[in-house]
Amino acid sequence: MSGPGIPWYLAVSAILFATGVAGVLLRRSPLIVLLSLEIMLNAANLAFVGFSRLHGEMDGQIFALTVMAVAAAEVCVGLGLIVAMARRRLPLDVDVFSELKG
Amino acid sequence: MIFGGWLCLLAPLAGFLAILLAGTRITRRQAGILSTASVFVGFAGAVIAFVDMLGRDTADRSEVTTAWTWLQAGEFKVSLDLLVDPLSVVMMLVVSGIGGLIILYSNGYMKGNDEERRYFAYMAFFVFSMLLLVESANLLLLLAGWGLVGLASYLLIAFDHHRPAAVTAGKKAFLMNAVGDATMALGLFLAIAKTGSLDFGPVFQAASSGELSDTVVTLIALGLLGGALAKSAQIPLHTWLPDAMEGPTPVSALIHAATMVTAGVYLICRAHPIFEAASAVQHLAALLGLATLLVAGVVALVQWDIKRVIAYSTMSQIGYMFVGAGIGAYGFAMFHLVTHAFFKGLLFLAAGLVIHRLSGEQDMRQMGGLRRSMPLTHLTFLVGTLALVAIIPFAGFWSKDAIIASSFALGGALGWVLYIGCLIGSLLTGLYSFRMYFYVFHGEPSAKVEAAAHGEEAHHGEGDLSMTVPVVVLAIGATFIGLLQIPGVWEPFAEFLEDVVPPLVTPSTGQEWLSSMISLALATFGSYVAWRAFRAGRELVSAGPIRTLLEHKFWFDDLYDAVFCRPAQMVAALLREQIEQPLVQGGLDEVADGTIEAASVAGRAESGLLRTYALAFAVAVSILALVFLVVR
Repeated sequence: MSGPGIPWYLAVSAILFATGVAGVLLRRSPLIVLLSLEIMLNAANLAFVGFSRLHGEMDGQIFALTVMAVAAAEVCVGLGLIVAMARRRLPLDVDVFSELKG
Repeated sequence: MIFGGWLCLLAPLAGFLAILLAGTRITRRQAGILSTASVFVGFAGAVIAFVDMLGRDTADRSEVTTAWTWLQAGEFKVSLDLLVDPLSVVMMLVVSGIGGLIILYSNGYMKGNDEERRYFAYMAFFVFSMLLLVESANLLLLLAGWGLVGLASYLLIAFDHHRPAAVTAGKKAFLMNAVGDATMALGLFLAIAKTGSLDFGPVFQAASSGELSDTVVTLIALGLLGGALAKSAQIPLHTWLPDAMEGPTPVSALIHAATMVTAGVYLICRAHPIFEAASAVQHLAALLGLATLLVAGVVALVQWDIKRVIAYSTMSQIGYMFVGAGIGAYGFAMFHLVTHAFFKGLLFLAAGLVIHRLSGEQDMRQMGGLRRSMPLTHLTFLVGTLALVAIIPFAGFWSKDAIIASSFALGGALGWVLYIGCLIGSLLTGLYSFRMYFYVFHGEPSAKVEAAAHGEEAHHGEGDLSMTVPVVVLAIGATFIGLLQIPGVWEPFAEFLEDVVPPLVTPSTGQEWLSSMISLALATFGSYVAWRAFRAGRELVSAGPIRTLLEHKFWFDDLYDAVFCRPAQMVAALLREQIEQPLVQGGLDEVADGTIEAASVAGRAESGLLRTYALAFAVAVSILALVFLVVR
């Protein structure tokens, strides 16, 4: 087995995840929030694959494929919502949509 | 014989159910006819049973039949038993016969009432319940009938449910009767515990053979006596009867004069082995009867409501029956029950004709001089009054005086007390009965009477044929029924009952005639005094403390109010103020307030900002991760 050791993969995964979280927390455009979510999902996928390789088992890779499928579906819904918002000329700002305020 | 018994019991039930199920599909008139017919069919059944019985030997006159067993627990079982014997046949004849006449009368009296169907259904139901009471062959079935007649009485007193007074009177009657039902039930529990049965045979056998201890027999007898006192409106459970006059007049005639209120007398006669085994209780019954007959007699002297006078007179006459049953003169007590059913039913129905004519007026001061405009009513009412006062040869003379003579024959301190008391009662009967008669039918007609005589009502005569016929029939009965018992000549009635309820005391012919003459003289004297007082325009009881006492009916109502009602209300108010309001309701309020408060605090966290939620997630997950690492 060649290439970098497992800790490197995990470090990249952690950086990606932190980037995603920062994006979700800091950006207000729903498009960017969705993008950040995708980054977090891919960070998780990277961790899955890394661990899969560490243990020499296929479970993690299968799980990564499942996550990708779910992510694709989620992106469809999310982008659909954003397109719908744009068509109605609603502001593309998640802070404006605060109707659930208690 | 048993066929007659079943027919008598079930025909009124069928009538009741038919009216109930038909609802508005039959007219009011048809409901009346159905009810009347069903009760008369019942009467036919009673006659069949009676005739059949007369054809048998005296030893063979009692028959029990079991339809089915409806309650079984181990050794103990209760069946739907019907008993037809001379005692129950007498009651069957009275209940269905007088009942039929009074329901026939109702057809005219209730005409135009909006709820006639309900009325006639209740009446048929009452007759059925009363027949169940008198025909049952075990104490439980008797208690069932006992409760059902109480229900029918309640429903019919409160029939006119628009008037609060009627509803209150109905509730009062029901509650006071419930006291009696409860003591009876307690007596029955004791009987079950000690004898393992409720059938008349074994229970009475155990009582008379001395198998039960004195205490047990006394307690059972006291329980039964409590029921009898409540149902028959005897002191101290009597206050409901005068108020029960709020019901329609035929109801007063049927339930509160002729039949239901005499059930207590029937019970004592029926359960005589128990009462004889507990002679103290039996004597107590006689003394309470005496107290009632005197108290009711004097209170009747100051009443102005015609129905209330008759109601007090009913209590007084049932007092006589209790005296009779209490000293063991069962045949005479039952005979007085029968004659009383005739003449008291008659008095009520005749009073009903007067009330009907005067459009509901019941105050005797608003009457007067009716003898000219209502000759038939006058004549029949006079017959009823004479029978009540016990003037020879009317019914009351033969029956009431036989009871008085029996107390004379009993002798001893008890006998003398009862005897003197009963004679004073005779005097009182003459006073209040003729006071009522004179005020209603003599003197100058009041404005109201004049108006009625020239009004529209006058064209209809004195009432419908359906009303006058029963009155005339009852008047004939009240005149002649007493002739069934002529001391020294023949006494078929007493002999008929002798085998079932052997009397403990039998006055000699001489005693009967002697005491009858004294009683007759006193009653006549009372009537004369009433006449003199009426002519002079005086009251029988002049104003003063005694009149106050009588007008307040010896303060019985006020006493019960103070002893039972007010403490109960006070306890309820106390519980409401001290328990319910601070604890139950107060606690609820605080729980609700707290929930609202907490919600408003927690609600502030819900900003609606998506990124805040995400931050909360991230922070929470970070903390969890840290905790996980540290703990590990």
